[in-house]
Amino acid sequence: MSTALDRQIRPIYDALDTQSNKSAVLACNKVLKKQPNNVLVKALKALALVRLQKVEESLLLADEVLAKKPTDDGVLTAMMHVLRGLGRHSDIVAMFETAYKQHPQNEDLGTQTFFANVRVGNWKAAQQVATKMHKQFQDDRYLYWSIFSAVLQANDMATPEALRPVLLKLALRLISSGNTPSYFNPDRFYVHLLILRELEMYDDAATLLNHEIGQKICETSLVCDEIRRDIMKLKGACKQEGEQAKVKILEKKDRNWLEFLSLLDATFWDIASTSEPASEDVKAAVTEEIAKTRKVFSEAATVDGLKDRSGLLALLELEKRTKSHGLWTDACEIRMMAENYFSQFGDKACCYEDLLPYLAFEGEELEQWTSFLNSRKSFDTPDTLQRSINVYKLLRYNLTSAELTPELELARAQEYIKVYLDGLKFGVNLPDTELQPADDFAILVGHAYVSLWKLTGEESHLQSAAATLEYASARSKQSYRIRLLLIRIYHLLGAPALALDHYRLMNVKQVQTDTLSHLILSRAAMWSLAPLGDITYMSECMEASQIYMSNSTEVCNLLLILFAIVMTNIQTAEFIARAFSTERYSQIIDFIEFEDRLDNSLQRDLMKVEHVRMRVAHEPLNAELVDMELIELKFIFDRIHHDNRDFEVIPNYQPRCQPSFNEQTLPLKPPGAGWLSAYLKVYIRAFQEASDLDETVEDKLLIGDRPKPSNDPENQLPLRERLVKKRQEEIDDLSEDEKLFYEYTLALSEWVGPYHDYVRPPPSALLAEAAKSNDLKPGHPLKSMAAAANGSATNGHSKKDEEPPAVKESPELIPKFFDDMKSRFDAVISGTALPSELLHIVATTQEAYLLFALETVRFKPNSIIKQYKFGQLAQSFKDLRVKASSILNEMSTVLAKLGEEVATPDGRKAFVQASSSIQDSSGFDHDFVLGVAKKTTDARKQTYEGIAKGLAKVVKNHS
Amino acid sequence: MSVLRPFRATDMFKFNNINLDIWTETYGISFYLTYLSRWPDLCCVQEAPNGHMMGYVIGKAEGHGQDWHGHVTALTVAPEYRRLSLARKMMSLLEMVSDETYKGFFVDLYVRCTNSVAISMYEGLGYSVYRRVREYYGSLGLGRASKDEEDAFDMRKPLSRDPHRRSVRANGREFVVSAHDVS
Ligand SMILES: CC(C)(COP(=O)(O)OP(=O)(O)OC[C@H]1O[C@@H](n2cnc3c(N)ncnc32)[C@H](O)[C@@H]1OP(=O)(O)O)[C@@H](O)C(=O)NCCC(=O)NCCS
Repeated sequence: MSTALDRQIRPIYDALDTQSNKSAVLACNKVLKKQPNNVLVKALKALALVRLQKVEESLLLADEVLAKKPTDDGVLTAMMHVLRGLGRHSDIVAMFETAYKQHPQNEDLGTQTFFANVRVGNWKAAQQVATKMHKQFQDDRYLYWSIFSAVLQANDMATPEALRPVLLKLALRLISSGNTPSYFNPDRFYVHLLILRELEMYDDAATLLNHEIGQKICETSLVCDEIRRDIMKLKGACKQEGEQAKVKILEKKDRNWLEFLSLLDATFWDIASTSEPASEDVKAAVTEEIAKTRKVFSEAATVDGLKDRSGLLALLELEKRTKSHGLWTDACEIRMMAENYFSQFGDKACCYEDLLPYLAFEGEELEQWTSFLNSRKSFDTPDTLQRSINVYKLLRYNLTSAELTPELELARAQEYIKVYLDGLKFGVNLPDTELQPADDFAILVGHAYVSLWKLTGEESHLQSAAATLEYASARSKQSYRIRLLLIRIYHLLGAPALALDHYRLMNVKQVQTDTLSHLILSRAAMWSLAPLGDITYMSECMEASQIYMSNSTEVCNLLLILFAIVMTNIQTAEFIARAFSTERYSQIIDFIEFEDRLDNSLQRDLMKVEHVRMRVAHEPLNAELVDMELIELKFIFDRIHHDNRDFEVIPNYQPRCQPSFNEQTLPLKPPGAGWLSAYLKVYIRAFQEASDLDETVEDKLLIGDRPKPSNDPENQLPLRERLVKKRQEEIDDLSEDEKLFYEYTLALSEWVGPYHDYVRPPPSALLAEAAKSNDLKPGHPLKSMAAAANGSATNGHSKKDEEPPAVKESPELIPKFFDDMKSRFDAVISGTALPSELLHIVATTQEAYLLFALETVRFKPNSIIKQYKFGQLAQSFKDLRVKASSILNEMSTVLAKLGEEVATPDGRKAFVQASSSIQDSSGFDHDFVLGVAKKTTDARKQTYEGIAKGLAKVVKNHS
Repeated sequence: MSVLRPFRATDMFKFNNINLDIWTETYGISFYLTYLSRWPDLCCVQEAPNGHMMGYVIGKAEGHGQDWHGHVTALTVAPEYRRLSLARKMMSLLEMVSDETYKGFFVDLYVRCTNSVAISMYEGLGYSVYRRVREYYGSLGLGRASKDEEDAFDMRKPLSRDPHRRSVRANGREFVVSAHDVS
């Protein structure tokens, strides 16, 4: 580049670097005036434009640049950013491929081409590029790039079954063609083992592993050791592993539980490895092995004492397996070991979960165990307090249904409260960053009251739970476990605002929003006051979704780093190379899985649907909303989802004969893949009908790559057919009210669909219209369609040959749905149902009303009614709207009244009285309980009144 | 008793019980992926037999010349699994890898000056304060403005490559630097 030119171009880069994109555009224009064909400047201008969201202009320039088949480094780099900004990843690949073809000696272009393919998961092409590079540049790193690309291709869901072994064999052949053996570094060694495992060549793998270097690698690399264990197990070399484990446990004092499991597996191998019933000889031999293993574990237990619990726990596992294989063991053996274990480790918090798998006692054994535990209650020191917490949890775990009467549970709740309050003395001097040692007693109180509520159906018990847990939370501000219980209970009590407060105090962020936002965003639309303009929950959805936006590029870039590191470590000094090189290939597989699970997260799209449901209640139903959401939901529709939601984090100390705390306190069954599919269908159908966008138009408007189509045969059917197909999986996931709603939406769109299809302007007309208004540019949301959908633009374009479809009466199901919901509402009001159930009914009815509005907005203008002679249809719509409106208004009135009632002094008094049991039993302050009562009733009032007003507003907006 | 295994990217879906604790920071996704892509052998997890995560350590190797060392970026054990020697075991693995694989001179870490449990644990494991770093951390957000909360101790322990213990000093607590002076 000449210096003169350099002087002109520098300012452009400077502007881009400082994000002064507008001045970058100006600077580009200046140069382009004199040199209209300068490709680099065009590329830089495209970059500035895409950053300014001027998508269409950027696109035009980008296409011009690509047509020139650039090979210059600066142009390629700029274009990579442009195309990434436009979501056109496959164009990046093509661009580098073209450049590399022109300069096959350019190693850098080869690398870029390889990376571009990696970024889009194009393993086959990546493999070919790497192979070519290996031939050209004779460097083993490219060989391993190509090997690992083949492995990844074999792993890819899209690769046909029959091709997989072929690819793996190719990879294996390539390994032996390398200049250095695979154990040259642990990374490559891992790849080698992985391939042999996939090809089931376990003996070959074992040879490598038994080699001195192989053993050494496994000693310092956890990842290699992990695959080693796996291969040995698959090879059936259990006994050999057991022998090694024995040595590690006794001589090296290795306390990795995996070693104990190896020895356990080896001990029972002769029985467990066949399905044949064991002969007496085999049984005798295994019994002998058991005795030997018992000695090993006992020795470990004796040596470790209180330092490590592996030995004792392994003994328990040994007894359990002995029993499950039908070998003789003393009936009381397991109980005595559990008692022994408790005596030694009862003061550790994890004692409870350690013992759970071994405690399925009955009859005599259970009695003895129970009386053992009862004799271990004591509250003298923090250590005995922890021990007592375990006693109470363990006793609770084995309660039988006969012992779970309301009276007994109440007595337990009161006892838990008493010991909780006593236990607080051990934490008075702790800083507020520490947890209170007695916290778990409060958690047990919460469990007992929830169980009482389940047994009696009385809401008062939930109030008692809330009061106690609030008390505990104030004393142990860092206890997220207490907050988790409160979040659930407040939702049940119709006080979502308080649940949200606790959730926010947990400081959930980053990737945690994927796993935990379900706590407040599951069916959040039912709590939302969006019709009133309160967008709290909509913003929560948006915030929690940030993680998905920023992630996808991150993972891609990191995949590149992985390969890049392999590159550096071969050039660097030996020890650093070894240090840097451990198992990055295995990381690649994990990263790909991670990316897949995050990109296709169920929670991600559940939040999307919640957001749409709230948006529809919040905004006018115009074409901008309809078209945009239609396109977005269709993108989601084909995803195969992964459920990353964390429910395990919610504590559970309910008896084993009862459902878990999580299950007990879900207001409704948590929405799953079936629920998502049902609601996606509902909204895609409604949007499709309301929209003028048809597939051909949509194609013209979309930029960027479409999602990879999945292989599910179901997805091969035409979209229209799929949208009306009900699947059992969906029905199973819906609540009773949602099932009615689902049927209602199907009936509605079946009825109204034909009229939409008739009135909708033909695509050609639409495209022409849009082109005229200069709006039809890829990447531009169809703003002009707003006019079209409102009817004005359609006139004159929709002269069709066929007659308009005959107007039919509304299907029975539609008015009946509103009647059904009304009677559901009345029944719940007069019964003892919880606020959450009431609000679910209300929200579902409101949603049905909104969908009705969405499906009929096209037919509102008088011109349409006249032109198509839809007078009768319009009348049906009107009748239905009047009917539904009056039901919604009624619900609104009743809710508003309920809201007033709860927050009166009388209402609060009822709350306080309801929780009298916690006052009798303890030092609970009346004022404290009153305070919680006030907070809860105020929050409920706020919800009821807000939703009541929202209903009225929705009716008014769409009447 | 626990399973010692490598930290995997997908563990980010499972670490809530550990990370919801106040002393444990949850970083952006790229933070974890960067560590996993560069120092996977300095990142490991302790897992309970029922599959729950009990704790993890995330570390890196850095520095030049005599300063080449292993660094503990995060060490944490969920409250219900504390005092089971898990931290001790993870630290010893990290020290072993820093020593044998990376050939570092020492291992170091930063800890809030108020985190007395952790400080005394590190001292018990052979670490000593090398210097105090002003305003190294953000506030814990508990509405207090305690300097100690935001200051960090840089603690170190020499490895076999530093037999003369050149990487530590006796009166490190009095040696104060500002956060800008350390990277
Ligand atoms: C600090 C922390 C990692 C310790 O984990 P741990 O698994 O409980 O520690 P270990 O059981 O391995 O303890 C090792 C030794 O440290 C000391 N120690 C640990 N916790 C202690 C405590 N609460 N009180 C007194 N000494 C303690 C003991 O000497 C212990 O040995 P011992 O049990 O044989 O007496 C854990 O408390 C934690 O995760 N805290 C929150 C996160 C954090 O602070 N990380 C450090 C930031 S750099």
